[in-house]
Amino acid sequence: MSYREKIAWLSLIAMAVAYTPYFMFAARGPSPWEPFPHLHPLGLFALASIVRMLILGAGYLYLRLASPREDRMPPDERDRAIEHRSLSAAYYVLIAGMILVGCFMPFSSTGWTIVNAAILWMVAAEVVHHSVVVASYRLQASS
Amino acid sequence: MMQGSISNRIRTLRFMNGEMSQAELGQRIGLTRQTIAAIEAGKYSPSLEAAFRIAQVFNVSLGDVFQWDAKATPVKAS
Repeated sequence: MSYREKIAWLSLIAMAVAYTPYFMFAARGPSPWEPFPHLHPLGLFALASIVRMLILGAGYLYLRLASPREDRMPPDERDRAIEHRSLSAAYYVLIAGMILVGCFMPFSSTGWTIVNAAILWMVAAEVVHHSVVVASYRLQASS
Repeated sequence: MMQGSISNRIRTLRFMNGEMSQAELGQRIGLTRQTIAAIEAGKYSPSLEAAFRIAQVFNVSLGDVFQWDAKATPVKAS
C-alpha cells in the first residue's frame, strides 16, 4: 500500500470517528431550555474538529516514522493524476451541496439546520475526495 | 474507437540490467516504486516523458520498452 493511500485511509478514519458522533448529536438539535443555545452545537463542532486533528496528527506521525524514506517521495505524475481526479469528484459534490444549502434550504430551514447541512456536504466532499484516492490506488495496485 | 492495449518489457529490462529494483528505477526517473509496479502490471500508462526516461535508463528505444498490441483488450483504464 502506498504512503498516499495510507494517508487517505487515515483521513477517512479521522472523518468517520470525529463527525459520525457529531452529526448524531446534531440531529437531536439544541435543547430549547439552554441559556446559550448556540454554545452546545459550537462546542460539539469544536470537539469534533479537535478529535479529527488529534487523530490526523498522531496518524501522520506514526506513518512518517513507520514508512521507509522511499515511500515518502514527493508526488509523481501518477499521484498528481489521482489527486486531480479525486479533487474534481469532490468539487462536484461540494458544489451540489452548496447549491442545495445556499439556494434551497433557506426557504425551508433556519439556523443550525442550514449550518449542519453545509458541514455535512463539506464532510461528504472530503469523504469523496479520499475515497476516490483509495479506489484509484487500489485499482492500479499491481497485486 | 480502435481496440488495443499497451504492453511493456520493463520487468525483462530490469532483469537484464543487473536485476535493477523497481525502487531504483523509480528513483532514477522521478517516479515512486508503486508507480513503476503499476506501469509494469499494465495498470497505469505513463506520460510520454516518463516513457522516454524509462527507455533512456535502459539505453534502448521507446519501442523496445512499450509495445502496442492492437488485438488485446485493455487491462484497466488509468
